[in-house]
Amino acid sequence: MSDLPPPPPPPPPSGAPVDLGYLTDAYSASGPPMVEAFGVTKAFGDVIAVSDVSFRIGSGITAILGPNGAGKSTLFRILCGLTPPSRGRVEVLGRDARRDRDVRGRIGLAPQQDALFDRLSALEFVEFAARTNGMEAPEASARAALDYVELSADDTKRVGAFSKGMRQRVKLAAALVHDPEILVLDEPLTGLDPVQRTRMIELFNDLAGRDKCLLVSSHVLDEVARLGSNVLVIAQGRLAAAGDYHALRDMMDDRPHRIRVVTDQPRRLGAAVIERELAMGVTIERDGITLDTTNVDRLGRSIAPLAVELQAHLEALAPLDDDLESVFRYLVERR
Amino acid sequence: MSNSVSPPQSIRLVHGLLVRQLLTRGRVLALLALGILLGVVALSVRLADSLEDPLRSSVEIFDVIGFTLVVPIVALVFAGAALGDSREDGTLVYLWLRPMDRWPVVVGAWLAAVSVALPLTVIPMGVSALITGVGEGLLAATVLAAVVGVLVYSAVFLLLGLLLKNSIIWGIGYILIWEGLIAQFGSALGKAALRGYTRSILANRMEIDLDGFTELSTSTAVVVPAVVIIVALLLSTLRLQSMEID
Repeated sequence: MSDLPPPPPPPPPSGAPVDLGYLTDAYSASGPPMVEAFGVTKAFGDVIAVSDVSFRIGSGITAILGPNGAGKSTLFRILCGLTPPSRGRVEVLGRDARRDRDVRGRIGLAPQQDALFDRLSALEFVEFAARTNGMEAPEASARAALDYVELSADDTKRVGAFSKGMRQRVKLAAALVHDPEILVLDEPLTGLDPVQRTRMIELFNDLAGRDKCLLVSSHVLDEVARLGSNVLVIAQGRLAAAGDYHALRDMMDDRPHRIRVVTDQPRRLGAAVIERELAMGVTIERDGITLDTTNVDRLGRSIAPLAVELQAHLEALAPLDDDLESVFRYLVERR
Repeated sequence: MSNSVSPPQSIRLVHGLLVRQLLTRGRVLALLALGILLGVVALSVRLADSLEDPLRSSVEIFDVIGFTLVVPIVALVFAGAALGDSREDGTLVYLWLRPMDRWPVVVGAWLAAVSVALPLTVIPMGVSALITGVGEGLLAATVLAAVVGVLVYSAVFLLLGLLLKNSIIWGIGYILIWEGLIAQFGSALGKAALRGYTRSILANRMEIDLDGFTELSTSTAVVVPAVVIIVALLLSTLRLQSMEID
């Protein structure tokens, strides 16, 4: 009896996000909440972009993970007050950014869209952000912010002529030039090369170490792994999971996987796979089989010797759902 | 840490930024061409021998080309783009998410449009007035009416840019259909078109009857546009406050 594995945890209640242990743990660990969402819903006509999302976030990096069109940018726009929620409310530092002028100066936003004032140089653009945030030494602040993102303040080229990566860094410099407590960064790593990404992630971690609250959206799981441990997973406008990145990763590994095996002996191989409990289900096709398994490692170790044993020719073995979309689908279906 | 930005400072910042954004070579050259067109027509009036009343002909040309086309179109191009372009390309967020009140942003944008539109209307029209050779009275009347026209059209088209996408197309439709055609059908409708006021200034100052447009006094033709400006800027402020920013 003692060798039996522990029973699986009960499924989360219907409609609730999968709790990966963050909402309570990180909240208490990082002091008072800096951003709170209470049942936020946003509809555009018949389309529900964000649906009944609630969370509390303190200082540090929180990654908002979700596929394109999941509602991440809409959620960010609501947080910053750029668009009002259809239902529910958001508080940033206890206030509503849409109504409260002063709290807007405590938020730094790097929006997803590429648009900048293209006729300005980087220094002029960031200095404008400093001035419109009421900084006392705008030029010095702008130079420091550009230096922080490793752009030259003395480059007189207009930002309209900048590469995508440089524009991303200009946006980031403008977002942080006034030293805001809340930084909202919408897909900030898009368009950056690997070296720039690494450097940018170092910057985010540095800012998080200064008790800033960083909200960083991404649709790339590996990016999120490097951003820190706190994630909110948004899928189809809903909060699908919230918590620790590593718990999310574990859950992904534990979920059923679908594997396609191309072979000249689909019936014999399929029957053997079921008989040896390498898969929960098998679909036999003309030129192969599709397997559903929760133990990819065991299947991977066993399938080749099994094929040899059955004198079956194994032509290909490929996962059908090893992408982020399938993870989001799985999380949504679990709700 | 940031502080709130005072209204005068906000106006100055928004004005400075938008003047730079608005002043593109393509826009300036295209709109200068409109002014030059007026100058060419003015020159043809001066050179024509067969005109019975050169003064009336000059005033009518300024009425039709200057105040029905040049002034509203130049104002539309700049004022419609002042916040409208930012709204459409997504840069409005860099003005919106700031510790600034909304009304100075609107006033700064309006002043930016006016600052750019005024030289591109008043100078070509003033020079054209001189080219006609009918006297300095036309110069003074043209300059006053052009200034009033630019101020009021800019306020209205600034609002249009915040309300509608493709404000240039809507604005041209408004200029051609409402200001150009419908308002000509009677003095009552004429009062409902902004052109009626610039026309009245021109007609009063030159003491020439332009289809009943001397009915409005010059002071009325200045005060009503001033009220329109205030209302349009107020509505723009409310619009900026309530709109959803991309």
